[in-house]
Amino acid sequence: MITKHLSPEILNQRRLEAVRLRLDGQTVANTAKRTGLSAPTISAAWKAFREGGWQAVPVRPRGRHKGNPQRLGETEREFLWQQLSRWPADKSPGWTSRELAEALSDETGRKVSPRAIEHWLEARDLKPAPMSLETTTKRSRKGRWLHQQVQPVLERVRSLGGAHWQGGVRVVTNSDGRQARCYQLYVHGKRGVLHTCRFASPPKARDYIELFERLADQGPTALIFHGAFFKASAEIAAWLEQHTDFQLLGVPPNSKL
Amino acid sequence: MTTLTHLQRLEAESIQIMREVVAESENPVMLYSVGKDSAVMLHLARKAFAPSPPPFPLLHVDTRWKFRAMYEFRDRMAEEAGMDLLVHINPEGIEKDINPFTHGSAIHTDVMKTEGLKQAMDKYGFDAAFGGARRDEEKSRAKERVFSFRTAQHRWDPKNQRPELWKVFNTFKHKGESIRVFPLSNWTELDIWQYIYLQNIPIVPLYYAGERPVVERDGALIMVDDERMPLEPGEVPMMRKVRFRTLGCYPLTGAVESEADTLPAIIQEMLLTRTSERQGRVIDHDSAASMEKKKQEGYF
Repeated sequence: MITKHLSPEILNQRRLEAVRLRLDGQTVANTAKRTGLSAPTISAAWKAFREGGWQAVPVRPRGRHKGNPQRLGETEREFLWQQLSRWPADKSPGWTSRELAEALSDETGRKVSPRAIEHWLEARDLKPAPMSLETTTKRSRKGRWLHQQVQPVLERVRSLGGAHWQGGVRVVTNSDGRQARCYQLYVHGKRGVLHTCRFASPPKARDYIELFERLADQGPTALIFHGAFFKASAEIAAWLEQHTDFQLLGVPPNSKL
Repeated sequence: MTTLTHLQRLEAESIQIMREVVAESENPVMLYSVGKDSAVMLHLARKAFAPSPPPFPLLHVDTRWKFRAMYEFRDRMAEEAGMDLLVHINPEGIEKDINPFTHGSAIHTDVMKTEGLKQAMDKYGFDAAFGGARRDEEKSRAKERVFSFRTAQHRWDPKNQRPELWKVFNTFKHKGESIRVFPLSNWTELDIWQYIYLQNIPIVPLYYAGERPVVERDGALIMVDDERMPLEPGEVPMMRKVRFRTLGCYPLTGAVESEADTLPAIIQEMLLTRTSERQGRVIDHDSAASMEKKKQEGYF
C-alpha cells in the first residue's frame, strides 16, 4: 500500500500502532497487513522505537519549514499607510519597501524585513508589476513604439550616464478597507525596485512634478510613464520644456504592456 | 409553423411601426443621435425598406459638444445608408455660445437640444419623427406611447395619450400636430446589444472599453475629448480603461470603468449590471422628474 498520500498525523498513528503490534509479537507481515504500512516502514518505526523510545517513532514534519511570519499589527499598518501618503524625506522618488521598513523601525521600534513590507503592499494591491518592455516583433504596434520611440531615447540617456525608469499612476480600489479607493503613483527603478506614494484624490500636476524633480536630481533621466494624459497639463509641459535632460515617454493607450 | 425568437418579434414590430409611419405621414424623418439605439433604428429602417434606401432623411440635432468619434461615425453611416443627413444646430445657441460648462447642463440641453429639435421640425415641416427611445431607459419614457402626439408647439401631454391595445396604432393627427414615433420602445438595453451582436451592426467605438483620458466630476468619469474641456487648477487627466453605456454631449456623459472590449463581453457585463445606462447622463439628474418636464416642453 502506498502511504505517501497519508497525512503525517495518520502516518504517525499507524507507525505507533505498528510498534504496538510488534511488541505484541506480531510478525512484520501481519503488522503490514493490519496497518497498511510497508515492511520497510514498519522496520524503520521499530528501529526508531528501539533507539529512541515512543517519542522517536513519529516521522519528522514534512515540507518547507513554515517559519515565523512577521505579522504587522494595527499600529504598524496605520503607520505605513500614513507614511505612503507623503513623500520620503530624502530625495527618493517614492517609498521603497526597505525605506518603509527603516521608517517603521525608527518610529515604532518594530523591526520587520523589507520582504514583509512587500507582502503588505501586495495584499493591498499596492505592488504593481513593472511593464514588459521586451521588444517583440517590430511590426507590432508595441514593437514599433519600442523601436522607434523608446530605444533611441534610452540610448541617448544612457550615453549621457543617466538612468531610465518606468512607472505610472493607477487607481487602487478598496485598499486596506480604509477608504473606497486611492491613487497610486509609482516608479520602478534598477532591478525593478518599486518606489511608491499614495494619494486620496487623483494626483495633481504638482505631484507629478515632485516625482519628476526627484528623478531628475539623479542626473539625466528617461521615464516611461503609463496612466496619465500629460498633454492636457500646461504646467507639466512647461516643466518639461525647462528640463531638457528629462525625457518623458508616455505609453500609448491600449498598448497592453 | 416557425416560432420567432424574442428579438425577431421585436424586429418585426419595429419594422411594422416604421412602415406604418411612412404609409400614414407626409413628411417623416429619423432623428439620429449616433448612439447604439440610433444604430439599431437605422439598421431596422434599412431592412424595412430594402432594397431602396429608407424614404426619409436622417436628422441630427447637433449641440457641437458630441464626442469627435460620434461625428466621424455619423458622416460615415449616413453615406453608407445612402440617406440625406440633415444637421441642425440652434443658431441662437451658436450666437450666445451656449455650452455645458458656463451655462450648465439644463440651459445647454434646453437651448441646444429641445429648442434645436423644435426649430428643425418647424424648418423642414416634418410631421413624424422616429426616435430611438426605449421604455427601460427612464421612467417618463416608460409611460410614453409608441406613437407620441405633440401639439403644434411640440408639447407632450402625458395625461392625454392614446391607447395602443393589441399594437393597433391610431395615427390620426389633428392639424398642426406631429408624432414622435418610438419603434424601439419595447426593446431593452440587453435586447439592443444582443441585436447589434447578432446583426453585426457597426457602433461608435466609444461603446467598447479602452484606455481614455478622464477626469472625475462629482463621482462621474468625464472624458477629455478635446481642448475645450476646462480642467481644474493643476488637474491632470488619468488614462483609465472605460467605456460608455450611453453617448451624449461629452461633458455631460459619464463613462464606466470596464474591461468589456468586445460585444460578448459587453453583453456579459449587461447581464450583471444593476444600474440604468442613463445613470451616466448628467442631464437626468437635474431635478426630480426632469426628463418628464423636458419631454413636455418638446425634448425628444
